[in-house]
Amino acid sequence: MKKVAIVGAGQSRFGEFPDKGIKELFLEAYQDMSKSVDRNFDPKRIQAAYIGNLGCGGFQLGNLSALMSEYIGLPYIHTMRIENACASGGYALATATMDVLSGTHEVVLAGGVEKMTDMSGSKTRYWLGVSGDTEYERLAGTTFSGLYALLAQRHMHEFGTKREHLSMVAVKNHKNGAMNPKAQFQRETTLERAMAAPMVAAPLNLFDCCSTTDGASAVLVCDADVAKQFTDTPVYVAGFGTSSDYLAIHDRLATVSLEGTRRASERAYKMAGVGPKEIDVAEVHDCFTIAELLAYEDLGFCEKGRAGPFLEEGHTQLSGDRPVNASGGLKAKGHPIGATGTGQIYELFHQLRGTVQKPGRQVKDPEIALAHNVGGSGGTVAVSILTR
Amino acid sequence: MAHVSVPMYWRTIPQRYRLVGHKCKRCGEVNFPPKGVCKYCNASSDFEEVRLSGRGKVHTFTLIGAGGAPPEFAEQEKAGGSYPVTIVELVEGPKVIGQMADVNPKDVRIGMPVRAELRKIYTEEGVIRYGFKFVPEPGGA
Amino acid sequence: MPVGISGYAAYVPRLRIKREEYAKAWGSFAAAGVAEKSVMGYDEDVLTMAAKAAGRALDSSGVPRASITRFALASTSPPYREKLLSGTVLVGLGVPNEAFSSDHTSSTRAGTEALVAGFEHLGSNAAGKALVAVADAPAASMWDPIEHALGAGAAAFVLAADSLLAEFEGHASYASEHAGERFRPPEEDRIQDLGVRKFSESSFILNTTRAATALLTKLGRKPEEYAHVAIQQPDARAPSSVAAKLGFTDAQLAAGLVAPYLGDLGAASAPLALAAAFDVAKVGDRILVVSYGSGAGSDALSFKVVADRKTPWSVKAEAERRENIDYVQYLKIKGAIE
Repeated sequence: MKKVAIVGAGQSRFGEFPDKGIKELFLEAYQDMSKSVDRNFDPKRIQAAYIGNLGCGGFQLGNLSALMSEYIGLPYIHTMRIENACASGGYALATATMDVLSGTHEVVLAGGVEKMTDMSGSKTRYWLGVSGDTEYERLAGTTFSGLYALLAQRHMHEFGTKREHLSMVAVKNHKNGAMNPKAQFQRETTLERAMAAPMVAAPLNLFDCCSTTDGASAVLVCDADVAKQFTDTPVYVAGFGTSSDYLAIHDRLATVSLEGTRRASERAYKMAGVGPKEIDVAEVHDCFTIAELLAYEDLGFCEKGRAGPFLEEGHTQLSGDRPVNASGGLKAKGHPIGATGTGQIYELFHQLRGTVQKPGRQVKDPEIALAHNVGGSGGTVAVSILTR
Repeated sequence: MAHVSVPMYWRTIPQRYRLVGHKCKRCGEVNFPPKGVCKYCNASSDFEEVRLSGRGKVHTFTLIGAGGAPPEFAEQEKAGGSYPVTIVELVEGPKVIGQMADVNPKDVRIGMPVRAELRKIYTEEGVIRYGFKFVPEPGGA
Repeated sequence: MPVGISGYAAYVPRLRIKREEYAKAWGSFAAAGVAEKSVMGYDEDVLTMAAKAAGRALDSSGVPRASITRFALASTSPPYREKLLSGTVLVGLGVPNEAFSSDHTSSTRAGTEALVAGFEHLGSNAAGKALVAVADAPAASMWDPIEHALGAGAAAFVLAADSLLAEFEGHASYASEHAGERFRPPEEDRIQDLGVRKFSESSFILNTTRAATALLTKLGRKPEEYAHVAIQQPDARAPSSVAAKLGFTDAQLAAGLVAPYLGDLGAASAPLALAAAFDVAKVGDRILVVSYGSGAGSDALSFKVVADRKTPWSVKAEAERRENIDYVQYLKIKGAIE
């Protein structure tokens, strides 16, 4: 399927910025994207915008898309806020793709923005729990971290996954993030340090958890027929797939996998006509280290239960045969909820074109890339497969 | 605060106080907490109410520390230390999440038999929300 | 047609604090004869404790919840000053909404007040069944020595006209005006006591001895006919002075003496003492219960054990289920650190 192309991608720096609000961040991402378009970039050609945002802080839950679009100079377009928790960005891309595939619009913006570090500690922890099941999961005393901890505990019980495996994910992603000038955290860490961090929700410690982050990202999606107007080296959306799942973990088929990832990736692989073994580089949703291990299995990179050994064997290191999270992942790069999904696309856009800023992170000649974006504990999942 | 309004909480009191589940008239499975359409056969909204025993075993658990606690539970964690949260597989079949109480967090194990009992969950707008928590079965009511 | 008790149970929260912990914090411990006391958990209150004890009592008696026609709930430390308290417990238990329910509070006599109300109901409803739940966790300022004795616990009883383990022989009461001993003004969760010791002691002895004497006279009984006496325990020594005045011995007090290891249980003090007496009583034993509520009043109730049926949830079993905490943990759980 070579009908939809991506001809530009940008993101803001991800991190904590008291001096930048969502308007400034989204503008930064948009301008970064416009500079990445090789030629003929013209804002007047953008007909629609799909902007991922959870709504952190709650101060602009209504009509956010109108505010973002006019601020970046696109006042009268078809614009929508896309919200599926942390999968908002992936769904923004899917929606943009469907828009172009339907023939309704030709050039469309897909992006996201989130501002998480302005709030008090108590409010922040409130917002970290709004994407789970409120009535039962929240009132049992969990946020995000507690839910993934429940999955981790069961995975360790059923498959013998070890504490070390969790921390190895953190070490790998921080090593990659140290080479990413856009990442929130650009410092490596050691296995000892990662394993000794204070407990947040056992077995997950501070180093198993992604941080709260401010950031924005934006990608320019267009009909493949007009892509050549902008660049000789477009990236194509070869396939995408989405799936929802029961919101509360206790309602799900299994507590050792994300059914949403399984089904979304199956749909994406089918549409793209490829299988997991053909993925050359992937950005997966490591909001918690256990999430990356589950992703290896649920995306079909390895068998159910074998994620720990798969990681130990080095497949997902930059030097391995299936490098995962070359950007540093959510762990090191940061997780500005609404912006994460298209932030993954930004990374893969550069990986496929060979234009990653720091060559140490550049995967050698990848042809097929996969982005895996999960909402909350897996209530929604969006998988995108990109090719060059 | 969790933004769960008084009527919203009140509507779940049969589940929270007495573990009332919904048995599907078509396939016989028990939905707990209830769903609009039976989640096992996906084909019926016709249910009969059944009161569950509250007994089950720990399917998985975690211990929530200060960084993992929602604001409604922050003071509880400060006062008593990390608290255990578990998904319990009830004897009637469904699984449900709930906090554990009356237990030393160090002693919580997958497979541990537990039973639901009424506890204070949290307070919002000055109104106390009660609901079930799970206690270890031997020595529990 | 005799009415009485067909089931009972105790619930004591798991946490304990010992007198030594208080002594470390304050230099001394003010509760006479108390070695340690029970502490309610952070996520418990008197309603959850009452529900737990009442559920146990129902299970112990085998009486189906659906047959309960009267529910009486007693506590001096309810979580609301205005809100129908028994509704929470009744719905939690699955007792019919149509049962006549009543909340008994305002002094530590509330427990026996609830028991009497239950028996009165059966007097005009022979086929009815009453459920009485008493739960208390009184509180005071941590700076106040009266705080030292305050514990937490619950007892519940199923009252009926058949399948009895103990018959209710009758009761007598005495109420007086003794304003200014243990009290709580509105908007205040913590007990106050002006510390006019002799005044308080004399009220305690006057009300309890009047009620008990009236009952013994009415029933034509002498002290030696009672195997056990369960008297209100603001500490472990107070019951002895009442017992002595009435002609009872310390040996008769022994089974029901719960304060040494549970502390002052407020409205649940006499009821838990009664439960402890039931735990060891033999068929034919008589038990006298004497409560006291400050301000002031007392109920005296007489029971005769007619069947050898014990609850699985005895006071001793409950007392043995424990975890010690230190004084700092105590302060945190009680929310006493501002």
